[in-house]
Amino acid sequence: MFEINPRRLDVGRVLAAVRSPAAGAVVVFTGTTRRTNAGRRVERLEYEAHERMAVREMRRLGAHAKRRWRLERVAMMHRVGVVPVGEPSVVIAVSAAHRDEAFTAGRWLIDRLKEIVPIWKKERYRGGYVWIGAQQGGGVPQRRRRTQAKARG
Amino acid sequence: MKTIAIELVFFAALRERFGARMRRDVPRGTTVRRLWREVAGASPGLSRLPVRFAVREEYVEPRYVVRAGDEIAVFPPVSGGA
Repeated sequence: MFEINPRRLDVGRVLAAVRSPAAGAVVVFTGTTRRTNAGRRVERLEYEAHERMAVREMRRLGAHAKRRWRLERVAMMHRVGVVPVGEPSVVIAVSAAHRDEAFTAGRWLIDRLKEIVPIWKKERYRGGYVWIGAQQGGGVPQRRRRTQAKARG
Repeated sequence: MKTIAIELVFFAALRERFGARMRRDVPRGTTVRRLWREVAGASPGLSRLPVRFAVREEYVEPRYVVRAGDEIAVFPPVSGGA
């Protein structure tokens, strides 16, 4: 399952998508909007995607990970539109025979997603916003955001 | 000089800056790198932004030579994940 979804992400559905009788381990990663980032109070996030390409790139990452770590199944879901604080923006699930492969693949998948899948995040604060990665926000002083974006979980 | 018509498609911060789409007539043999330099040239800072390009929903290298009718997606640095 590889999906861009405008509604609240259902972690259970992503988990169910990787169920396999051959899997001894299932690892799920959820990335969730934090209340503060770099000392600023975040009101909400907004995500935009090149939807068809994002799905294709996620599917490609999944296929690659499956071969590389001999996984059973992979599922990736990313939300678009407004995401309130505390709700997941991304859910990735991986099933494998053993936990080492599942953990490693899960970590690799979220790292690669952040590098190449065409999705963009806008952080909204009271009185302004910033497009993370682009330093092109309106209304908020321009700051060095790219290194911060890389450093976050 | 013979020119061809192409269209740029912008996303996220670049869409807010340029609008969703921009039509251009460019000389044959133009690369997406050169095309972007021309578009971004007027905006200080923009030309240093590490953008990526995609055509027909596949990433292409900056040296990709545009073809008549191409839709060239221009992506600012991606920032998916939480």
